[in-house]
Amino acid sequence: MGKKKEGVFDVRKKIGYLFSMFAVIVVLISGCGGAGDSKDDTFVVGMEAGYAPFNWTQSTDANGAVKIDGSADYAGGYDVALAQKVADGLGKKLVIVKTEWDGLIPALTSGKIDAVMAGMSPTDERRQSIDFSENYYKSHLVLVVKKGGAYDQATSLQDFSGAKITAQLNTFHYSVIDQMPGVVKETAMDNFSSMRVALQSGVIDGYISELPEGITAEAANNSFKMIELEDGFQTAEEDTDTAVGLVKNSALKADVNQILAEISEEERADLMEAAIKNQPAETDTEDDADSGTVIDAKDSSLSFAWIVKIVSENGPMFLRGAGVTLLIALVGTIIGTLIGLLIGVIRTIPKPDSKVKRTLLKIINSLLSIYIEIFRGTPMIVQAMVIYYGSALAFGVDMNRLFAAIFIVSINTGAYMSEIVRGGILSIDKGQFEAAHAIGMNHLQTMKNVVLPQVMRNILPATGNEFVINIKDTSVLNVISVTELYFQTKSVAGNNFRYFESFFVACVIYFIMTFTVTRILRAIEKRLDGPENYVVIQNQMQVQAVENTVKREED
Amino acid sequence: MEKIIEVKHLSKKFGTHEVLKDIDFTVNKGEVVCVIGSSGSGKSTLLRCVNLLEKLTGGTILYQGDDIMKDTHNVEEYRKHLGMVFQQFNLFNNHDVLSNCMVGQIKVLKRTKEEAEQTALEYLNLVGMAQYIHAKPSQLSGGQKQRVAIARALSMNPDVMLFDEPTSALDPEMVGEVLKVMKDLANLGLTMLVVTHEMGFAKEVANRVVFMDQGVIVEEGTPEEIFNHPKEERTKAFLKRTLD
Repeated sequence: MGKKKEGVFDVRKKIGYLFSMFAVIVVLISGCGGAGDSKDDTFVVGMEAGYAPFNWTQSTDANGAVKIDGSADYAGGYDVALAQKVADGLGKKLVIVKTEWDGLIPALTSGKIDAVMAGMSPTDERRQSIDFSENYYKSHLVLVVKKGGAYDQATSLQDFSGAKITAQLNTFHYSVIDQMPGVVKETAMDNFSSMRVALQSGVIDGYISELPEGITAEAANNSFKMIELEDGFQTAEEDTDTAVGLVKNSALKADVNQILAEISEEERADLMEAAIKNQPAETDTEDDADSGTVIDAKDSSLSFAWIVKIVSENGPMFLRGAGVTLLIALVGTIIGTLIGLLIGVIRTIPKPDSKVKRTLLKIINSLLSIYIEIFRGTPMIVQAMVIYYGSALAFGVDMNRLFAAIFIVSINTGAYMSEIVRGGILSIDKGQFEAAHAIGMNHLQTMKNVVLPQVMRNILPATGNEFVINIKDTSVLNVISVTELYFQTKSVAGNNFRYFESFFVACVIYFIMTFTVTRILRAIEKRLDGPENYVVIQNQMQVQAVENTVKREED
Repeated sequence: MEKIIEVKHLSKKFGTHEVLKDIDFTVNKGEVVCVIGSSGSGKSTLLRCVNLLEKLTGGTILYQGDDIMKDTHNVEEYRKHLGMVFQQFNLFNNHDVLSNCMVGQIKVLKRTKEEAEQTALEYLNLVGMAQYIHAKPSQLSGGQKQRVAIARALSMNPDVMLFDEPTSALDPEMVGEVLKVMKDLANLGLTMLVVTHEMGFAKEVANRVVFMDQGVIVEEGTPEEIFNHPKEERTKAFLKRTLD
C-alpha cells in the first residue's frame, strides 16, 4: 500500500521537480550571463565568421584564431588578425562575437559589441547610423560564375546580357548589378553560402563579390570561376574600402586609426595572403592530399564520403548545436507550459462577488489576452529581433543570447500553451469542479488537486507537439546568433562549401531529436495512465467496527 | 429539536425562468428528510442551493442559526460541514478509490496522511468498498462508484449529508446496494437531506417527506401523512402517476 499512497502526492512532487529543474537552469543561464558584457578591459568585435577570407569559423585555435564568445569554436581570417592587432594596440583583450550580417549594426548601436570588423565597407548609408575608422583593406569587385558555363569567358559587363545575377542583401554589390546591361537581377541573398549553393544548383548564373571572396570560392570549388573585368563596375572609393565600424563619436576612433596607420600596406597584403591560404576549405584539400584520402575536396558531385567527412570533422560542432537546440526547446517548453498552466488557472477563476475584485480580475484577464494575441499573432523570428535588439536599444539591457533565446521561446510557447490549457480545463467535466467545491476546496485547491492533473494528462500530446515544434523553430533564432544547430550548420557549410551534405547531416540530427522526443512522450503518457488492472485486497485491513464509526459520527 | 439548516424565502431564477419560489424549510439534527416531486419541480436545484453550488437569487440560509449569506461568511468553511453525493458520482478521475477519500481530508481539513487514511478506510469498509482501494474510478461499476462517493463525503465527517438523486444514474440491479448503504447511514443517526425518486426508500427511511411541484413546496409531513393521506390534489396526482 505504501506505493499507492504516493498517488495523491506525486503530482505535487512532479511540479516540485520541474521547479527545481527550472531553478538550476536559471542559475546556469545567469552564470553565463556575464560572458557577452563589454567590459572595460575587453575589445568586443562583431563579425559573421562566415565570409572567408575576411572571417570564418574553425574548430581549433590554429593560425591565430580567436575563441568565439559563447561558443566552443574559433574565428580566423584577415579581420581577426587585424582585430588582434587593434586590441593589442589598445591594450585590451580581444573578444569575438559571431553575428549575422544584418545583426552587426544593431549589435553595435545597442552596445552589444564595441566594433564591427567584418569586411564592411564604409558607405554613406551606414555612416548615417555608425562611424568608421580609416580603411584597412582595399579590394575590387569580381563576378563568380560556373566554370564551363555560358559566361565563363566574359570579359566585360556587356557579356553578361541575359544572365541571372545576384549579390548579398544590403550591400552595394547588389546595386551595381544595375550597371550590367540586359541582366536579370535576381532577388538579393542573405549570405555568400546561399549564393554559392544557388550558383552550384544553377538557380543563378553568377554573383557579385570582392576579390578575396572570389579567390576563395574558386579555390574551394573547382566548378566555380572568378571573373575579373577589364572594364569593370563604376564604384565609389568608399565601397571597395573596408573599415572598422564604431558607434557614433566613439572614443575609440582616434586610437583605432592610429593603430591601423602603423600597419603597412605590405603587412596587410601579407596578412590577406595568409588568410587566403589558411582558410578552412584550402586546408581541407591539403589534408586530403597528405592523408591520401580518395575524396577530391574540389569535386562538386554529391557524395556519401563527403557526409562522413563532414561528420567526422565537425561532429562536435553539430553536437554542440544540437545540445543548444535541445536545451532551448526543452527549457522553453517547460517554462511555456508552466506559464500556460498559470494563465489557464487565472482565466478560469469564477467571477468574484466583490466589485473591486471583479474589476481587478477583468483587467488581468484583458492583459493576458493581449499577451496571448500578440505572441500568437507575430512570427518568432520577428519577436527575436525586436526583443533582443529592442531591449538593448530601449532599456540598455544586454541580454545573454542563450537567455534571450530561452526567454523568447518560453513566452511564445506560453501564449500557445495557455490556450491549450484553457481548452484542457474546459474539457474537464463540470462535476469534477462541483465535487471538489462541495468537499470544501477553493479554486486553487480544486485546480491543483483535481483539475490540473487531469488537464496535464489530456494536454500531454499537445505539449509534445509544442516541444517538437520548438526543436525545429529554434532554427529561426540564428538571427540573434544563438549557436543552435541551424546556426552551426551554416558555419560548417560556409567553411566547407558542401551545402547539401552539411544540411543533410543537420536534417538527420533534427529528425533524430524530434523522433526520440515523440517516443519518450508516448512512454510518459503510458506511465501516467497507470496499470490497466487493480488488485482486490483479499484480507480486510484492520478497521474499526461499524459501532465505533457510529460513535465517531456522533461526536 | 435542534435546527441544522434553515432555508428562508429562498428563490432562484435562471435568466427569467423562476425555478424556486419563496421556499421555506428546515432540516433538524438526526433527521432524514426526503424531497420528492416530478422532474423539473426544482428539487435538485434546491439541494444545490443549500450547499451554494447554485447562487441564490433571493432569500437566505441559516446554518446552525448563522446566516451564511453574510459577506463575512466563508463558503468553503461552510461546505466542510456538508457532505454531497451527486447523481453522476463525480469521483476525482485522477485519484484512486483510497485517495478520492483522502484528498479532501488532507487539503481541506489539514489532517495528516495517517489520520486521513485511517478515516478513509473506516468509511470505505462501511460502504463495502475497502477491497477496491487501488482501483481507479473508471474501473468501477456505477453502484461501486456511488458507494465510494458516499465514503468520500463521509470521510469529511460532515454534519449533514446531501444526496442529489443518488440512484437515478444507476442500472436497476445496482440501485439496491446504494440504498442499503443509505439505510445503514440513516440507522446510524446521520442527518440526511435526500432528493430521490425512490418512493419505497422515502416511505421506509424518511422522518419527513417534502413534496415539491413547480418550484414550491406543496406539502410536507411524515411518510404516513404524505403517502397514505395526502391533502393536496397535486400530491395525489403525483403519487398516482409514480406508484402505478
